[in-house]
Amino acid sequence: MTGSKKKTILQAVGVQRLVIIGVLVILFTFFCLVSASFRKYTTLITMASYMYYTMLMAIGVTFPLITGGVDLSIGTGLVCYSIVGSYLMRQMGLPIGVAMAVTVGMGILFGFFNGVIVAKLDLPPFITTLCTMMIVRGLGSILTNGMTGVWPMAGQEGSWVRDLLRYKIGDVTYPVGMVIILFLVLVMSVVLNHTRVGRYIIAIGSNKEALKLSGVNVARWHIMAYVISGFFAGLAAIAYACTFTSITPGTGAGLELDAIGGAIIGGTAMTGGSGSIVGTFLGVCLISLLKTGLPNIGLQANWQQIITGGILIVAVTIDMARRRK
Amino acid sequence: MKEALRKFKNLRFVRVIGFNRVILIAIIFLMYGLFTLLTPLLRNGSTFVNYNRVMSALNYAYFIGFMGLGVTFVIATGGIDFSIGPVMFCSALISGYCLTKFNLPLWLCIFISVGVGAVFGSIGGYFVAFRRLPSFITSLALMQVAKGVGSIFTKTQSVTWPSNDPATSWYRDLVKSSNLPVGFVILAVFAILCSIILYRTTAGRYMLCIGSNREAVRLSGVDTRRWEMLAYVLSGTLAGIAAIFYVGAYTTVQPGLGDTFNNEAIAACVMGGTSMAGGSASILGTVIGAIIVALMQEGILAMGFTISYQYVLTGLIVLCAVTADIMSRKRRN
Amino acid sequence: MGEIILTMEGIDKTFPGVHALDKVSMDVRRGEVHALMGENGAGKSTLMKVLTGIYQKDAGTIVFEGREVRFASPREAQSAGIVIVHQELNMMGHLTVAQNIFIGREPRHGLLIDDASMNEEAAKLFAQLGIEIDPRETMSQLTVGKQQMCEIAKAISHEAKVIVFDEPSAALTDTEIDQLFRIIRDLRDRQYGIVYISHRMDEIKRITDRVTVMRDGQTVGTLVTAECTKDDIIHMMVGRVIFEEPKTQSRVPADAPVVLRVEHLNAGRMVRDVSFTLRKGEILGFSGLMGAGRTETARALFGADAKDSGDIYIDGEKVNIHSPKDAVRAGIGYLSEDRKRYGVVLKKNICENSTLACLQNYVKHGSLIDGEAERKVTQRMVDALKTKTPGVDQLVMNLSGGNQQKVVVAKWLISNSKILIFDEPTRGIDVGAKQEIYELMNRLVQEGKSIIMISSEMPEILRMSDRIIVMCEGKKTAEFDVSTATQEKIMNAATREIAV
Repeated sequence: MTGSKKKTILQAVGVQRLVIIGVLVILFTFFCLVSASFRKYTTLITMASYMYYTMLMAIGVTFPLITGGVDLSIGTGLVCYSIVGSYLMRQMGLPIGVAMAVTVGMGILFGFFNGVIVAKLDLPPFITTLCTMMIVRGLGSILTNGMTGVWPMAGQEGSWVRDLLRYKIGDVTYPVGMVIILFLVLVMSVVLNHTRVGRYIIAIGSNKEALKLSGVNVARWHIMAYVISGFFAGLAAIAYACTFTSITPGTGAGLELDAIGGAIIGGTAMTGGSGSIVGTFLGVCLISLLKTGLPNIGLQANWQQIITGGILIVAVTIDMARRRK
Repeated sequence: MKEALRKFKNLRFVRVIGFNRVILIAIIFLMYGLFTLLTPLLRNGSTFVNYNRVMSALNYAYFIGFMGLGVTFVIATGGIDFSIGPVMFCSALISGYCLTKFNLPLWLCIFISVGVGAVFGSIGGYFVAFRRLPSFITSLALMQVAKGVGSIFTKTQSVTWPSNDPATSWYRDLVKSSNLPVGFVILAVFAILCSIILYRTTAGRYMLCIGSNREAVRLSGVDTRRWEMLAYVLSGTLAGIAAIFYVGAYTTVQPGLGDTFNNEAIAACVMGGTSMAGGSASILGTVIGAIIVALMQEGILAMGFTISYQYVLTGLIVLCAVTADIMSRKRRN
Repeated sequence: MGEIILTMEGIDKTFPGVHALDKVSMDVRRGEVHALMGENGAGKSTLMKVLTGIYQKDAGTIVFEGREVRFASPREAQSAGIVIVHQELNMMGHLTVAQNIFIGREPRHGLLIDDASMNEEAAKLFAQLGIEIDPRETMSQLTVGKQQMCEIAKAISHEAKVIVFDEPSAALTDTEIDQLFRIIRDLRDRQYGIVYISHRMDEIKRITDRVTVMRDGQTVGTLVTAECTKDDIIHMMVGRVIFEEPKTQSRVPADAPVVLRVEHLNAGRMVRDVSFTLRKGEILGFSGLMGAGRTETARALFGADAKDSGDIYIDGEKVNIHSPKDAVRAGIGYLSEDRKRYGVVLKKNICENSTLACLQNYVKHGSLIDGEAERKVTQRMVDALKTKTPGVDQLVMNLSGGNQQKVVVAKWLISNSKILIFDEPTRGIDVGAKQEIYELMNRLVQEGKSIIMISSEMPEILRMSDRIIVMCEGKKTAEFDVSTATQEKIMNAATREIAV
């Protein structure tokens, strides 16, 4: 048995991921065949824009999920952070660089807040991050006096941030943000699989007590998982701001569910211990495809929430069934 | 001092309703006093002491209270239900649409509202109890579904329940009739019913025991899935009832909202002494908790702050309550 | 045996309500295997946890390599050279073998972990121990025996000088135990100091040089293994316990009716084609090593786990049992080995626990619980079983192990079970209360109940059973009448099927 084990492509990519890729191809072909509006290039751009912030959140939330926890605060969080960022630019006249730094910084701060409560006080992650979700929801409007956040539009000062995601040459927009996303997927894959942070985060999800007995400062790395999640929520806030330009305070609830759903479809177990960033990437691709594709074949926009809920239940059911085997 | 505290704890009425509940009632009065004191300071010329404010706070307490009663059962089994707010709105939207657009009789619409809640509760309960999905993720998914269903049914329009025609607006008397808080009486009746279910029936006994140790209950030959599901059905049903009290107070419902209310209902529960770990629950505590949440909201608005402060405070309160619960359980072990 | 490397002197540790260690002393030499023995709850594990920095001692001194030490965490103990191989394996199943071994001290290139050199190092360790394990294998894929080898490799990689084995053989097959002993002897020859905690007397004679016996949180004494007999050690371990002779013959008349017949029961890998009968008034002992499939058989019979096939007859009639509910209805009661997880609801009171299995009989007006009747029947049970409690309102978590067990018994008596399955009835119960549980079981069968008793303790099996069934690797390998059963025969049957 222990002889030369040659990994086939199947083993290397993983059966589940191949299934997702297969489903992606089939769905994409299906939407293209059925819907004329889906075939348009702009649909692809819309899908990419939706993908940016969802993907960033999903990459981040994969880490708390692997520890066996969850982060529900990222959805309302990103709205809060981007509103504060906009406030700094509009009301205080600070340069966009500072605004971006503060936006991401707030994400890290609240990630740290979540992490400390979960790791040090032993509160259940879902209830902790739910509370943070409420807190940031209110905080965004309190800090900015309830003003709508506005980020630079195309052509305005500071619009280079938009160009990072969607570069326009002439009339054609290029989704260059995908390059950044792919780069981050690569980096975070390495972080998860080849650094101490990742290793210990997997170990926490696998057997926290054993890790503690190995003399590792568990709380520190446990907190890191939530800090990473918060950091990516901050990045997602910028991507979100670039996509929608104006942001209403108090919204954002539910965005996190697409990210969590994507991670779970991608093979991150709800009970912790296993997961992959590439899987999360594929999972979010699938969700994005469904969310842009289904309206194009006749489901109205208000079906979006039902799609989110449905995908989530299906994903978790599959996850449970897989582990019961 | 210590001696006095011990004596106080041993008083009959304190023992009956529980020391923590006495503290909570004291907090209500403290809050009332605080708001009375601060409101004129923060907003010149306005006062907090005012019959309308009390009624308005009670209006808010009713529907939070009904939702809280429901979710108390779920938390008692060791689960959580994040879907009740949107489910309440979905119930109100669908039944209101039936009332205004299809002209169905009011009693039937009330029945529909409760029914919609029960259906959502059953779906959630099925997935949690029979398919063993984590309750928080299931109810989050259902929350989205409820929001979606509500807006699809009403074609993304808000629904305003009738308020003038006596034939179709007697539901408002359930909340307030000739300026008397009828709703409070009904809430109290329901709280007593829920207490009986939770503490005096086999169903409640099983739910509490499931919350403490599911496997031991199952190995005693009890069909745990059935009783666990029942908790979610009760939660959904009570959200459907809460819907009637919501429209009774505010008449208009918008699609796609309602998720802030679950948080407040859950806050009412954990403040009232229901443990997030499952196994112990207090119906009376939930009702008092709902009143505190409502009073807090009224106070915040009266003092001239925005509703955002309510969100932040609710979050902090739940954090503190759960932390306190975990600390006290750690100390006891 | 070399010079003394580790001395523990007058170690004291108190937990709320328990004086766990009372001036315990012990020393370990280089190149010896030092057994630490004692019954459950004697304080062995607590002592080792104090030694390895998991608990902090209240008083006493630990001298290691001539210097007094005080470890604030397991990590400090590790880096000093004291490592423990835990009873419940401390592995992270999702990580690979090498990743587990080097957890907490991964070699790195800058920020990145150097997995390649980790695998190499692990392979070297295994070569050193003469074990064949692929360091890149995922931990959860290995057998329990191999997982334990990984733990040992981990201990050695810490450059340990003292290695503590906490009941390492509990879940191992014979071949694995042989391999383990070969490694331990090898380590001894390389001048490691080894502490070996075990319950198994034969192992102590086979592998250890000295024995220290603990009882009720105190050290009773230290003996040189070669110079003492089994009886000496037993005597020191049990002290006050009166040893009762094994039963010599079954008390069940040959014509007693068969109350339960199980035919060709199959459930997963652990229950394979098990058939047996149980007579009225009989105690049927199930013996075997840990992991032999006895608990799994009981759970499948009780409907707690799904069974693949097999028929169950009660009083000659075939019954369909798909869930514990069906089993309870058919008159079976199951008392789990893990009382706190599967037996009682700790945070509820005696009354609530006692009527849990038949609450439907204590209702009035539809489904309101009849508190009066409930208390009455519970009180009757408390009196009958002599449960020590201030009242029926006492929370079960406040009761001792023996009294918790009585609450579980009461639950099944109240629900009128005819067949009781006792799974390790005296595990975690102190010596005095054990006697009481035995008496209780005898009384129950005299009253016409029938009992299936799963036990890993040979004296218990021989003393209580009328008939004995031995299981090994999920199969029934022997059945003896108590009059013909001996320890050797049982042990032989319990190890028969183990693959080489």
